[in-house]
Amino acid sequence: MAASLSSAGTVRVLLSDFQSTLARSSLLCSSSGSRGLHVTAACCKNRAARTRVGKGEKPLTYEQAFHPHHIGHCKGWLSQHTSNLKGEEGAAERTMEDVFIRKFMFGTFHGSLANEIVLKRRGNMLIVCALMIQKMSPLKFYFLIGYTETLLSHFYKCPVKLEVQTLQDKAVYKYI
Amino acid sequence: MAAPTVLRRQLFPLARILSGLSHLKPRSLTVCSGHRRCAVSRFPPPLTPSASFHTATPLSSSAITVTEEPDVLFQKVLVLVKSHDRAVLDSYEFFATTAAQELGITVGKVFEPQKDIERVTLLKSVHIFKNHRVQYEMRTHFRCIELSHITGSTAKVYLEYVQRNLPEGVAMEVTKTAMEKVPDHILKPMWEDLPADDKPSQ
Repeated sequence: MAASLSSAGTVRVLLSDFQSTLARSSLLCSSSGSRGLHVTAACCKNRAARTRVGKGEKPLTYEQAFHPHHIGHCKGWLSQHTSNLKGEEGAAERTMEDVFIRKFMFGTFHGSLANEIVLKRRGNMLIVCALMIQKMSPLKFYFLIGYTETLLSHFYKCPVKLEVQTLQDKAVYKYI
Repeated sequence: MAAPTVLRRQLFPLARILSGLSHLKPRSLTVCSGHRRCAVSRFPPPLTPSASFHTATPLSSSAITVTEEPDVLFQKVLVLVKSHDRAVLDSYEFFATTAAQELGITVGKVFEPQKDIERVTLLKSVHIFKNHRVQYEMRTHFRCIELSHITGSTAKVYLEYVQRNLPEGVAMEVTKTAMEKVPDHILKPMWEDLPADDKPSQ
């Protein structure tokens, strides 16, 4: 049914963005025989933190498989601090620190990160939780962990703790 | 009326804890309890993996002092916790109320103020397409625990315990209502003491 199709299409698009769908729905609601030409603005789908669908060969972790609007429902927070709460300050500084720490970790443990890094701030302390792949020998891992902890605590003048768990391979949730 | 002698446990002083503890800026070294002896260049020894940050610090000044001055009395201590995650607040509320009951503190009421959502509407595209926007929101959930009729030292101990176990991403605001003795000079109305005037002034 043309009517049900148009309503399903409108609902699906409204869920993801704020766009006006009048042109599209008017096209679909017109009589089933005729087809008109319509020109609308480009249907800008959201692209943030979403992997484009492939042929079934792309492996995705649980973190990558769910989109940002699932945060709070089936996803947790990657960076936990209080500055985004109502009446709290320091959001920009914490975000800058987070970005730097993620880049630093990505570079130090090059190729051995299995998943995104989780940052937790408890009081004065910064806890960096990371999942690693067993690419290097444990001795090298321990050295890099100590090196990261020392450097970051000197940079940010606060105790920095690294909590590392290692896996054989990346944990794949699904293939896209 | 305040008791004349109070047994007060002298705990290690925690700066800025009593008036609203939220995320402490990592710049200030002095806030971190137990690290007062450390110079700026030396960072504290690595903590055990499963420890929260209080167990590694030995309390150097944990003497029990007996003072003559009366303890502060609080009519109401309001503990407001904020977080993005409601489940975290549920479990923290269970922890705080259980701790209060174990310590013998009367818990007044535990309620949940309405959540606050801050929404931001931005343009989705870098250039033009004004009709296509994207909305982000930040939700703050609250939980309020009210403790009634509590002494100053009990409040200090309880708050320190509860704050050391604050989960990450949770902020706390503490409001205390203290009770004070009514000053003597306003206990009785002034006109009772004045000598009786014979005639009212004209």
